[in-house]
Amino acid sequence: MAEQNPTSPVRPAFQLELQDLDLVDNALATQNKETTPVHSLEIGTRPTPFGAGGPIRLASQASTPPRSVVGIGGKVAKPDYSEAKIVLAMVGLPARGKSYLSNKLMRYLQWLEYDVKVFNVGQLRRSRAKQKKEQSGVKEDHTASYFSHNNVEATRLRDALAEDSLEMLINWLKAGGNVGIHDATNSTRARRAKIEARVAKEKGIVVIFLESVCDDPAIIAANVALKVSSGDPDYKDTSPEDAKRDFIRRIKEYEAVYETITEPHLSYLRITNVGNQATACRIHGYLQSRIAFYLMNLHLKPRSIFFSRHGESQFNVEGKIGGDSPLSERGLRYASALPDLIKDNIGDAPLTVWTSTLQRTIQTGQHLSYTKLTWKSLDELDAGVCDGMTYEEIEQAYPEDFANRDEDKFNYRYRGGESYRDVVIRLEPVIMELERQDNILIIGHQAILRCLYAYFHNLPQADLPYIKIPLHTVIKLTPKAYGCDEERYTLPIGAVDTHRPKPKAPQPEVKAYSGREYYDGNA
Amino acid sequence: MVAPLYTTDSGLLFHAGKILVVTVGLPARGKTHISRALERYLRWAGVKTQVISLGDYRRKILGGAQKLPSDYFTLGEKSPETMALRRRIQDGCEQQIWDFFHAGGQVVIYDANNGSVAQRQRVGTKFDKEGVHIIMLESICDDPKIVERNIRSVKISSPDYRGWDPDKAVEDYYGRIRGHEKHYETVDELTWPFIRIINVGEKIMVNDIRGYLQSRIVFFLMNIHNKYRTIYFARADADLSPTGWEYAERLKDFVLERRAKSLQQRGIDPKTNRLVIWTSARRRAHHTAWPFIAAADPRTPGGPQCSVKVIEKPQMSEINPGVWDGLSPDEAKKFYPEEWARFVKDPYSFRAPRAESYHDLSVRLEPTLLELERVQEDLLIIGHASVIRCLLAYLIGLPASEIPAIEVARGDLLEVVPASYGVHSQAYHFWDGPGRKLGDHDTMAEKNETNFYENYAEDTKGKRRIGQEEESAV
Repeated sequence: MAEQNPTSPVRPAFQLELQDLDLVDNALATQNKETTPVHSLEIGTRPTPFGAGGPIRLASQASTPPRSVVGIGGKVAKPDYSEAKIVLAMVGLPARGKSYLSNKLMRYLQWLEYDVKVFNVGQLRRSRAKQKKEQSGVKEDHTASYFSHNNVEATRLRDALAEDSLEMLINWLKAGGNVGIHDATNSTRARRAKIEARVAKEKGIVVIFLESVCDDPAIIAANVALKVSSGDPDYKDTSPEDAKRDFIRRIKEYEAVYETITEPHLSYLRITNVGNQATACRIHGYLQSRIAFYLMNLHLKPRSIFFSRHGESQFNVEGKIGGDSPLSERGLRYASALPDLIKDNIGDAPLTVWTSTLQRTIQTGQHLSYTKLTWKSLDELDAGVCDGMTYEEIEQAYPEDFANRDEDKFNYRYRGGESYRDVVIRLEPVIMELERQDNILIIGHQAILRCLYAYFHNLPQADLPYIKIPLHTVIKLTPKAYGCDEERYTLPIGAVDTHRPKPKAPQPEVKAYSGREYYDGNA
Repeated sequence: MVAPLYTTDSGLLFHAGKILVVTVGLPARGKTHISRALERYLRWAGVKTQVISLGDYRRKILGGAQKLPSDYFTLGEKSPETMALRRRIQDGCEQQIWDFFHAGGQVVIYDANNGSVAQRQRVGTKFDKEGVHIIMLESICDDPKIVERNIRSVKISSPDYRGWDPDKAVEDYYGRIRGHEKHYETVDELTWPFIRIINVGEKIMVNDIRGYLQSRIVFFLMNIHNKYRTIYFARADADLSPTGWEYAERLKDFVLERRAKSLQQRGIDPKTNRLVIWTSARRRAHHTAWPFIAAADPRTPGGPQCSVKVIEKPQMSEINPGVWDGLSPDEAKKFYPEEWARFVKDPYSFRAPRAESYHDLSVRLEPTLLELERVQEDLLIIGHASVIRCLLAYLIGLPASEIPAIEVARGDLLEVVPASYGVHSQAYHFWDGPGRKLGDHDTMAEKNETNFYENYAEDTKGKRRIGQEEESAV
């Protein structure tokens, strides 16, 4: 439902009743079916995860190059984001997708090279309790009664936790971060006023609130199901049945005191049912509007995104880069085999195929009988003067360049061509369209698919140009609440290997990961 | 601006299809202002966009309000003749929308009141049937001051009120609004995706807005306002030489004088009304603002002359000339003949080795443009010529290809006033020192400017001069 009228009183928040447990049961059953482990990935393990959204890292590990870079191709500096400093405080009842939104937003902004970090109060609470248990042997009671506003002692403790995590966030912003996401319920006016007053003391830092409202029982049920089925340590020794009951009681404790944002002076965003309706109040400024812009495009409908490179091209066989060559004989065989592979996977579900404007991707999709759209912005990274050369020829003709590119592949821009960073920027509209679509198959190119893949898996910029996207392989990504599940299907049709590993450095380890983190990484 | 990359087989961008933005709102709610601002932004982004206004069409076909039947604007019962007349105007106007779409246009902003569910349903269904995406864009004001300001600044100067006494005209216009209010239905129906703007950008609500282009529209609308203000542009030129200081001093005197005139006409005290100054982070730019800071010092004998706030903006640094840094055009031509030929052919998109093109610069300046939209006070931008060119082109609505040729002479003050139907721009000449004229390279310009991009338009006898009493037709 949309807002009725700007002046009408706010509707009462949706109340989840215990009889809605059936919904949870159903959602749980579906989810268990869906999360049956698919075959695992062969590409190594992921670095130590941190926070709701993944590993701790600075947004761009790609260094800003010195001006004295030699050779003809240049390295291009990261845009200056030093002025952007935002506290984004989440508001919402439990199981309203706050962590989901935080996590998605973090991935998007990090992909655009902003420094973003989620400060999850729940994680801090669990980590501290764990520490306490290890040190003193006392196990804190974190069942629903802990979350009751009548429990004075626990309320004080929870307030202190929220404040500590805000302090950590502000310190992190001062140390150079751009957007710190305060992932907590922040469910009362008093709590929000405190945050506002605290941030007001810091010059150059602004706060915006992001309220996630959800009145669709199916979405809430799915969130509750996820919570109790995903190994939350709060429910470690509890049966799923009891866990569900306890979690719903916890929600009710929050509902008792929950106040939706009505404070007219606050800068806030309200997202209803994950993006169907949105309200933006006093949201001004580039980064702030950009955040709103992104959040409007999210949805939670289950769907899959398929990536495939074009079939092997004649240039691939000859070892040349770029160009607009047709497929090789083996590439054509891949194109013929592709429809069955896709059909086996999605059956009769609807699908849209996106290709670039280059003939090797169009040829690869020629036998697919789905709606096909071509995007110029999906064209391969433009190698400028090096287009149509082999790596050996480039090394010979432009030895310094070649070394430059190896040293910092993300920032290296071919003379008259593009860098990986340029590609990321031009792909942003594609990402935005991709977020709102259902099933999509993208038949693309190596560099392009690396950038898109890095977005969905939140991989660091420096590693992005080394992601393995082999020929004649379909990669299926299924977005989940905290990441993407991945499957790869390699067709037994031979092809050349076009992957150039990073010289004198270990191949970056990449692994799909869609689980939720329950502890603070520092614990 | 981004058009070539995202153009699809259909000639439209982003696979976003054709979009009809239908404005909804009582009269004097800033619909026209919002429509024109959106049109300017989308055009800047390369989207073929057109505002089609029912009121303008009616005036063109039938003339001013005095020539209309008396029941034309009152809602409710109308004579059959009036009904037929209104119908004819509506059909004719909507035919123009089709014409624009058929000619390859992507976004039409249909500027009309559309104050009832039935009206919206009719227009929505009509275009939706043909595969056009519909967005209802409602503008609501619950602040009577905004409404009054709109009436006074825009409505009573319309041809409908030519020759009227201002207060009588305002009264008449309120009457027209009351007629509409009785029958006005706010957009509550979820039938169509909608955007509701409250008090011109203070608050925005959206329903079912999806996709890159549609959300881009919302993104932009979050950053606009319609307060009256003036934006001034001048080049930064105060090195620490006496000429540099003289330049800065003259600039200050001239801006304060211009501003005083304009503010006094509107009954505002120019000494206390604040002027915001943006400079780039280059010392030279910042120095140019020093005389303003001195004049605002409360210890000034006779009291401060003005109130200013100076903000340094690192994003406003000049275009990066790459390997051409420090070269004169002749040298660049000599050492890089191939690149030079390509540059001359397309100075907007050509990117010299390790340099930025004007296109890159425009992309870099987008956050600055949005901030420019947001500033409500008078603003003086002291910047590099390349940056001023990009900002001006956006404000005035010039095509990207003309950006490199916009002349931004030393010693000129460019004045831009955003108005509902476009912008008024004017250039004033305030200084004649060395470096202003062509061929003055041995003097000041040479010392400051090793980036020939900055003087390119002037050195090549600029093809595009902004402002001589010109009101741009946006």
